[in-house]
Amino acid sequence: MSLEFLVASAIAVLVAGGIYLALRGRTFQVVLGLTLLSYAVNMFLFAIGRLIVDKPPLYARGVVEHADPLPQALVLTAIVITFGMTALTVILSLRSFLESGSDQVDGDGDPVREDAA
Amino acid sequence: MAVDRRRYLALIFISVIGLVMALAFIHLSAPDLALTQISVEVVTILLMLLALHLLPGNPPRLSALPRRLRDAAIAVAGGLGVGWLAWAVMTRPERAGISRFHWDNSYSGGGGTNVVNVTLVDFRAFDTLGEIIVLGIAGLAIYALLEPAARGVAGRRLRAWRSNDRHSPERHPMMFVMATRLLLPLALLVGSYIFLRGHNQPGGGFIAALVFSIAILLQYLASGFDWTDRRRKFGEHMLIGAGVLIAATTGLGSLVFGAPFLTSSFGYFHLPLIGEFELATAMFFDLGVACVVVGAVLMALAQLAQIAQRAAKAEEADEPS
Repeated sequence: MSLEFLVASAIAVLVAGGIYLALRGRTFQVVLGLTLLSYAVNMFLFAIGRLIVDKPPLYARGVVEHADPLPQALVLTAIVITFGMTALTVILSLRSFLESGSDQVDGDGDPVREDAA
Repeated sequence: MAVDRRRYLALIFISVIGLVMALAFIHLSAPDLALTQISVEVVTILLMLLALHLLPGNPPRLSALPRRLRDAAIAVAGGLGVGWLAWAVMTRPERAGISRFHWDNSYSGGGGTNVVNVTLVDFRAFDTLGEIIVLGIAGLAIYALLEPAARGVAGRRLRAWRSNDRHSPERHPMMFVMATRLLLPLALLVGSYIFLRGHNQPGGGFIAALVFSIAILLQYLASGFDWTDRRRKFGEHMLIGAGVLIAATTGLGSLVFGAPFLTSSFGYFHLPLIGEFELATAMFFDLGVACVVVGAVLMALAQLAQIAQRAAKAEEADEPS
């Protein structure tokens, strides 16, 4: 099997796991699901530039074969933005738990526990 | 306890996936991405561990079986769809796109040999400027969300929070404290090295900033929130603001010379003993990027740590031991 198949199947597994977790009812699982999905998206964007082994995009005169630098630059910022997004989601879920006393996100979970307030 | 352990285990699995991604990036000739991924991984896992500590640990109720089957079916369909799409893209012949331009002009136009970094700070610097502004806004939103959390209902709930984890008898283990204090200058040195080599070798502002943040976060972990906060002379707000300002001013600087916004200039210089080195205005832009990233990362983790600290203090005040 080719390297392309390996990467494509890894993306498939990450997306499937991410979607399943994002459909769960509690914030922590949803955050984990979004993290998995963002890994998959970053890998997908990177794969658009094709898979090239052992030819990093470092310029030298006469080098013809090299990996595509453009998707790499885009994914690099995407990885850092992903951190910002994950941090914001984690903190939103924490604040919503502190406000409502429940970490359910789909509304049909535990009733609000008044004893904690 | 068992449930909590399963949640920590889930985090460890996530971090393993991140590490495998970094290895894949190394193998697929993307050293910059590997460095970024591995340092972002450390920060993300720290953040999630802190949040997990505060989120409720009661066991999740499993959804009903039909619902789980439905979700699994959606997940498998989505996974297969995206996997097929990725496969379809990767197995098609590459068409001549705009990447060629970046490669051809990296050295002659941008002065650097690391095409990825030159793309970030030069060719597509406007993109990067937008991205650091987004990151700064995320940092400020986190501040806005957590700062008032000590008041009202949320504050009462925070004060009523009880940790069900067992605490270590030693709050700040001596070995850990000493090791991290020794590591701080070394880590800052490594960060500066990664920052300076960024234009020509794998590295650059984003990665250097993450290394700086990890060095400072280690102090928070080892020596405690109060100790580190007292010794930190610069606030996260200032870092985010200064970073955006430095990056934007660097961009505006090119207008003075009649060049378009964010045009960079560079030159190669020679010093005895050191040899030839490069100076580019893009370095100031990269400095701005680094400031914003350090600011946003510290904002997220320090705010979260402070909330945990407040909760823990309330707990101690209630139960004098």
